[in-house]
Amino acid sequence: MQYLDNYLQSKGGYDYTNVKRNELMKAQGFKEMPFTKTGTTIVGVLFDGGVVMAADTRATAGSIVADKNCEKLHVLAPNIWAAGAGTAADLHHQCAHFNAKLKLQRLNLNRQSRVNEVITKLTSKLFPYRGNIGVALIIGGIDCNGPQLASVSPHGNYVYHPFQSMGSGSLAALGILEAKFQDGLTKQQAIDLAIEAIEAGIFHDMGSGSNVDVVAITKDGADYKRNIRQYNAKSYQRQIPYDFPINNTPALRKYQFDIEKQELTEVGQEMEIIE
Amino acid sequence: MIFNSEISGQQQHTTSPVVTGGSVIALVYNGGVIVGSDTLCSYGSMAAFKNVQKIVQISQNTIYASSGEYSDFQQVVKELAKIDRSALQYDDGVHPSPKDYGNFLARLSYKKRCKINPLYLQNVIAGFHNKERYLALVDIYGTYLESNFITTGFASYFCKAIISNYWNENCTLEQAKQVIRECFKVLFCRDCRAHDVIQLAYVDEQGTHIEEPERVETKWDFNGFKSRANEKLHTQ
Repeated sequence: MQYLDNYLQSKGGYDYTNVKRNELMKAQGFKEMPFTKTGTTIVGVLFDGGVVMAADTRATAGSIVADKNCEKLHVLAPNIWAAGAGTAADLHHQCAHFNAKLKLQRLNLNRQSRVNEVITKLTSKLFPYRGNIGVALIIGGIDCNGPQLASVSPHGNYVYHPFQSMGSGSLAALGILEAKFQDGLTKQQAIDLAIEAIEAGIFHDMGSGSNVDVVAITKDGADYKRNIRQYNAKSYQRQIPYDFPINNTPALRKYQFDIEKQELTEVGQEMEIIE
Repeated sequence: MIFNSEISGQQQHTTSPVVTGGSVIALVYNGGVIVGSDTLCSYGSMAAFKNVQKIVQISQNTIYASSGEYSDFQQVVKELAKIDRSALQYDDGVHPSPKDYGNFLARLSYKKRCKINPLYLQNVIAGFHNKERYLALVDIYGTYLESNFITTGFASYFCKAIISNYWNENCTLEQAKQVIRECFKVLFCRDCRAHDVIQLAYVDEQGTHIEEPERVETKWDFNGFKSRANEKLHTQ
């Protein structure tokens, strides 16, 4: 029991054993690996009857583009999607984890997942890690309380706003959103606004680029358009496998080889090969 | 611009600005160049001086604006005005062109940067000379860039997208003014050191026109912000 008391007393509120381990490793000469960040532009726009979320598709590792066409819009529930900016690995694993957690809860309770439930679970997970889980998410969904849009920062802060943008391109996208957002947008207007905001991020931020993905969530479901806009599509795509068209090459001369006579003669000419 | 303290080696170099001005946005339009900036000088995070003119006429066809340390701005204005005045001595009606002022400022900024004592400014020089529009940016290091549109400070992050999408170099003066007003609206919403009173100035064939300061209209009462319905749902 003494051991347990000592352990609990030293443990305190947060567990910093990994911090000590990391410092030891650094002192021994281990270099921190550069992790793939998403260097992103993501936006969410609330409209009458639903939520539109859009993202670019570039993943960067330092100043190299690691993935030209990654997916930044993640499904958390059939009625709730998350757009993620930050460390790619953290985003992928956290979103998959919460997807599974929510699904289990839906199976247990036989109820639709709610957006505020997602926010609560996320922030409870992120806060103790003090921002070391690098996920900055925009959560959008529609549930029994209507359409909702919120953003969650890596430290566990959440905010509900009718339009959001996150990532390195968020300033460029926010310029467009602030200038163009109005109350009472229709679904198509909201989609156009979201695409314009991501476009601003793609062209004016170096961490964002490639294509635009959009998802529009309404009561009837989620309408996901992957690569709805491509700004630098390859103009020529090689056909694989390549079909060689038959009889495409013009023949200048035709020769015929007679196997029995062992003779090569030119077809259409009287000339024979002189031996 | 050499100070006695520089020669004697006692000079303390500028490490950080104290009284700063906000973003400047300049656009070229069909017939001239227009520059806009807000009328605020901040003392750190305090909005200290709210009715400051940060766009100045240097000569008949040149205007100058900058963002950054305001005392450096005032000194540069004095230096550029000195050049304009000294041209009067020749009494031949010839004045330096806007590009001459741009070049001078670039060389001055670069020299001071090389002595690690910079003019803490992003300078914008706009002019109209020989039927040609001139717009240039000289930054804190002395980098000289001529362009059709210039943004300094936070405007580079928020407003470049708005300018690319809603402005072209042959638009009318009114259209260019609207784009600048829209940009300052966005800046006032999202930049902590911005102000909603702005001043526009434009140069065209007739000369320079510096307008009276005007207030931009901003909307803060969108439904999602006002009612906070979703936040209340969250805590139920």
